[in-house]
Amino acid sequence: MIWLRQALAVLAKDWRTELRTRHALHTIALFAVTTLVTVSLALGPAGVSSAERTTTLPVILWIILLFAAAAGLPRSFVAEEEGHTADALRLSALPSAIFAGKAAFSIGLLWGLELLLTPLFLAMMDLPVGAPAALVLILLLGALGLAVASVLVAAMVAQARSRGALFPVLAFPLLLPLLMMAVELTRGAVVGGLDLNVLQQLVLYDASLTVGGLMLFPVIWNP
Amino acid sequence: MPPHESCERPVRPSGTRYTSAVSPPLLIFRDLVHGFGGLPVLRGVSGRVATGELLLVRGANGSGKSTLVRCLAGLLRPQSGEIELQVDGQLHDSEARRQRIGWVGPGLAFYESLTAEENLGFHARLRGIEPDHGLALLRDLGVPAHRAAGALSSGMLQRLRWSFALQHRPPVLLLDEPFQNLDAAGEEAVQALLSAHLERGSLAVVASPIQLGLSTDRVLDLTDISAHSAAGERASGEATSDGTGS
Amino acid sequence: MKTLLRWSLWLWISLCICGAFLYAPLAEGFVGQSSRILFFHVPMAWGAFVAFITAGVYAILYLKRRRPEDDRRSEAAVQIGLLFCVLATITGALWARVMWGAYWNWDPRQASIVIVLVFYAAYLVLRDAVEDPETEARLASVYAVLGLIVAPFFFFVLPRIVQFTLHPDSVINDRGSVDMESRMLQVLLAGAIGFTALFFWILRLQTRLAALEGRRRHRGLLS
Repeated sequence: MIWLRQALAVLAKDWRTELRTRHALHTIALFAVTTLVTVSLALGPAGVSSAERTTTLPVILWIILLFAAAAGLPRSFVAEEEGHTADALRLSALPSAIFAGKAAFSIGLLWGLELLLTPLFLAMMDLPVGAPAALVLILLLGALGLAVASVLVAAMVAQARSRGALFPVLAFPLLLPLLMMAVELTRGAVVGGLDLNVLQQLVLYDASLTVGGLMLFPVIWNP
Repeated sequence: MPPHESCERPVRPSGTRYTSAVSPPLLIFRDLVHGFGGLPVLRGVSGRVATGELLLVRGANGSGKSTLVRCLAGLLRPQSGEIELQVDGQLHDSEARRQRIGWVGPGLAFYESLTAEENLGFHARLRGIEPDHGLALLRDLGVPAHRAAGALSSGMLQRLRWSFALQHRPPVLLLDEPFQNLDAAGEEAVQALLSAHLERGSLAVVASPIQLGLSTDRVLDLTDISAHSAAGERASGEATSDGTGS
Repeated sequence: MKTLLRWSLWLWISLCICGAFLYAPLAEGFVGQSSRILFFHVPMAWGAFVAFITAGVYAILYLKRRRPEDDRRSEAAVQIGLLFCVLATITGALWARVMWGAYWNWDPRQASIVIVLVFYAAYLVLRDAVEDPETEARLASVYAVLGLIVAPFFFFVLPRIVQFTLHPDSVINDRGSVDMESRMLQVLLAGAIGFTALFFWILRLQTRLAALEGRRRHRGLLS
């Protein structure tokens, strides 16, 4: 299937350039760890009062993930436009396949980030998790929506003038529902439960963004 | 329209055939208009190129040569006008047109951290073709295949662009300043490649500000057109000052 | 004909205002005269809703037909929608001060409206950040369509996550029935119709203005 082959080729190419330059990997990982250390230090040895731990700490975790994504993910598209490689890509591949490949790359980056950050976060904040499997599921699904929205917005930002500040301005309103759902679910997982209702809505959000992205991306990508 | 049969091939002796040129390609564009931020660059440009033909697009700097080529390639959407490409007796929309085009231009760049070979291989995978032809082109043009694209000299980069444009044996070649930065040997090599492609039934549009040592079938001078339409605007009473077009 | 329509709109809105203060009775359980603000708050929120849907529809039309006037209508609809949205927020906050004792208390309805405000403000920022007019129209339209995709999450998911609400039932509530004194309902519906007509009238004016401004800019560049 042409589409799948092209998406995989884009994914493989992005990983290969990433492993050689390490732009996004270093930015995202260092950003997340630095922010975690900063938050942890700012909270001091006492940390968050035990009554508020389960409500406050999930917020901090997702805010760090959101900002790390904003710092590292736009790179993959902005580099294509700035390096003028986008035009050759336009000639060679189907737009929706490029979208799928880039999204898969971003999802991979975010999953890697979560793998690094979450254990570190739970350990530093000394937060026991009641339902670890539920937490893993929430992290996987949350990263999916985060990556898809980021790729869409990054493709738009890459064609604009003021790139740095524009990404969070456009992406955060789009991601607010996702953030609220993910935080709510994480709170549940920490206590040891999983709200299936909210989980269903998170899946629905991921699905509608993915379908919308596949339809809208060709319009963003093609002049 | 000159008939196209496989006649002798001056440079590439391998028995390559076009994948798509069963019936000869034909490119027609009518009344193309484009501008940037309200400033007109192309004002009603028309033309027609048939199989085996080379259309030379001439004109001063800023007359819209690159814009025309990018419109034809489907990398810019003209504000009005039509572009038709017939290959295999079929009309192709801009998405399908892109797949059948070989494009060389100053705006064509490669991933700097990947080697020349990896760059071509990536595009070969996207197009679903074997990488052999691209590798052969790199070898023939003397491009160091294992050097990172970011470390290539500008002449070598231009040769890499040619390899990118030709590796999928496109029926349509769109060449924007295709000989820039090439030395005498390089220019000779790519001209031979170009003639070979034309003889096999491709068509080519070449944009260049200077006269080329190429036999051209048709010439489109954009300077003439913009001067002409500026005169027309004055005649129609539009109050514009003289310095239009450039 | 146009003049007639304009005058009847004027008359209609005037009647709505008079009706709100003189004809409609006070609602039970509301402090003082505070329920009268409802006749302005609800139609304005409704008007904003109509405006953003209109913006999305014209954005889809633009992406299909690529006519600049569709994009101008879409942009104008967002601008007017933002105005209605701000007015609805202010009237809501005033009422909240009287009834609940504070202008702002993160009621789910307040959270939704803030996200909508931020989202469409980001739309305007995006338009500013792109130089080429065709790219600007294309990207802005994509963002407006994205708004249609995520809007259900703003309105239906968020209120469910933030469980409690003090906001009075919508006009048509969950039970599918209308619980309202009939004279109040008449004024409210008349107001909604009036504000919808007002929106489309301003939309026409704003679109014409934008077209004239665009033409002047174009001529300025040529000379």
